[in-house]
Amino acid sequence: MKTAKFVLPLSLMLVSLALLGCPKKPPRSAPVAAPVASAPVAPTTEIHAETSPGTLSDQVEVDPLADPDIASLNAHVRDRGLLGDVYFDFDRAELRGEARERLARNGEFLRSRPEFLVTIEGHCDERGTNEYNLALGERRATATRDYLVSLGVAASRIRIISYGEERPVCRESNESCWGQNRRSHFIVTGRGGA
Amino acid sequence: MPRLHRSEPHVRHWSLAGLGLLLVFAVGLAAQQPTPAPAPETPPAGTPPDQVTLVLQPGDRPLLRLAFPALAPLAAPAPAEAQAAARELEEALRADLLAAGIFSLQGPAELAPLELTGDLRHDFEQYRSLGNEVVLLGELKLEGDRLALEGRIFDLPSGQAILGKRYRGTFDIARRIAHTFADEIVLHFTGRRGVALTSIAFYSDRDGEKEIYLMDYDGRNQRRITAHRSISMSPAWSPTGDAVAYVSFFAGSGPAIYLADIASGLKRPVVTSGSLNTSPSFSPDGRRLTFARSLGSNIEIFVCERDGSGLRQLTYSSGIDTNPAWSPSGREIAFTSSRGTGRPQIYVMDAEGSNLRRITFAGEYNDGAAWSPDGTRIAYSARQANGQFAIGVSDLVTLDSRLLVVGNGSHESPSFSPDGRRIAFTSTRGGRSQIHVVGAEGGESRALTSQGNNYAPDWSGYPQ
Repeated sequence: MKTAKFVLPLSLMLVSLALLGCPKKPPRSAPVAAPVASAPVAPTTEIHAETSPGTLSDQVEVDPLADPDIASLNAHVRDRGLLGDVYFDFDRAELRGEARERLARNGEFLRSRPEFLVTIEGHCDERGTNEYNLALGERRATATRDYLVSLGVAASRIRIISYGEERPVCRESNESCWGQNRRSHFIVTGRGGA
Repeated sequence: MPRLHRSEPHVRHWSLAGLGLLLVFAVGLAAQQPTPAPAPETPPAGTPPDQVTLVLQPGDRPLLRLAFPALAPLAAPAPAEAQAAARELEEALRADLLAAGIFSLQGPAELAPLELTGDLRHDFEQYRSLGNEVVLLGELKLEGDRLALEGRIFDLPSGQAILGKRYRGTFDIARRIAHTFADEIVLHFTGRRGVALTSIAFYSDRDGEKEIYLMDYDGRNQRRITAHRSISMSPAWSPTGDAVAYVSFFAGSGPAIYLADIASGLKRPVVTSGSLNTSPSFSPDGRRLTFARSLGSNIEIFVCERDGSGLRQLTYSSGIDTNPAWSPSGREIAFTSSRGTGRPQIYVMDAEGSNLRRITFAGEYNDGAAWSPDGTRIAYSARQANGQFAIGVSDLVTLDSRLLVVGNGSHESPSFSPDGRRIAFTSTRGGRSQIHVVGAEGGESRALTSQGNNYAPDWSGYPQ
């Protein structure tokens, strides 16, 4: 969290520099402010940066995953489905077949960006006790981490945290919502050793 | 039995606590007391009242029929502040005696038809005529800036004095005076002190994020003791009531265990290393904590000293082990484990981790073990086929189990009162989640909270 607080002003400074007429600096907020359609695309894209009304600047390449603003970076990762959630059966922490497939893709992405540090959040639906759900969420996050490690992602890059049923993504009491809440959720928390 | 002498520890307690509550003990009808003389056939002062003591045990159905006419009011003119304190005291005393569950109470309304003359022998017959077995006569006095209560209980119709007490304190502790007297009365009739001076810890989202709160046993005086603006949960009283252990996410690295000192309000970390430390429970000597902790890819039961040192692992299973509760004797720990079935059930082990045995067999999901103070029963949250929870109780000798509170919402997280006669729990009966109290034998429950959602009550021990 502390990193994010320092990074935000920094990115604002960079954007300001770009607006002040420094064409080689990409306006980093642009790809986040106007995310493209949800279909997965290559993590590198091209945009046109407009430096003054009516004129186009040089064409620059922007890597949205190089965004120093972690919140923007996570929005990009989420919108492109680069580190998708993994879902679980009721009362269970074992990985289903589709969860392993999802983790194979997540693992591939993490190996391609070895500088990313991630936190895996374990979540539960509301139908257990608060205490047991904290443990169950921990098991879900742990199972997710362990599988990624088995795919070659360094354990030192992964932190886990269980929120049990305390931070649901969906707040209704029906099977659709419960299914969405029984998940491991990924957050990029920073950049560290490769 | 000389029950009245048990009040002496109270004197030490209250003066130590600096509460300004002056307890002047008065055994039976001590001569210095300025209230009306009893009927002539009453034995002389100081005679042990054993022969009229009726001892009621939890579960005994017959209620003792108690007449409780209005307390003799403060002599005029009394300041408004004193009158308000007097009203509060009397109201609290009536509520306490009703809540104690051992009396069938007749108050001023029920006693209105009686023709009372002030002649005790005559009046006792009058109370008796409505079926009462005992009468509580009390008087309020203003002594400087303090309120004094003199209360006596007489057997009917003999007029023999059973209990006499005098209390004095500042106006702001009027309720405490009432609670102290009520607890003494309950002690006299049941052999076990009442719980009117105990407190309940819980957590609530009423101020936005989940924080830890305390309240008096009757739901009064609800106050927040944390301001982490995160998720704070799972409060657990220390046996002496000087501290509450709890879990909070505020440091950002997962649920960790902290200790809140009640007197100073200071919070300090107990166990914060690792990704998960939850569900603290104190040993009965208050020196250690047991809790659940994530270790590698597993969650196990641990113990540590009260300051977090001396971390030691008690369980070694591939399933989830969590939510431990130290037994009142200190010799055992109940906890929840998914070992074997993959779903949570209650187990008990010796406090060093050996001699494991399963306690719950009904239903596929039981969690949240709470010991009865005598160590014979465990209450827990039992998930029903419809997904709602009920409060279950299992006998530790026979392993018989039954549902104490079931249906009409979800009911979780039981905690026994220190006299074992009541259970606090979380209920969604009224829609949102609230703290309720029910008799340990079942019956109607009563909500103590109403603001926001409220969870996981932990009933304190007796104040010390």
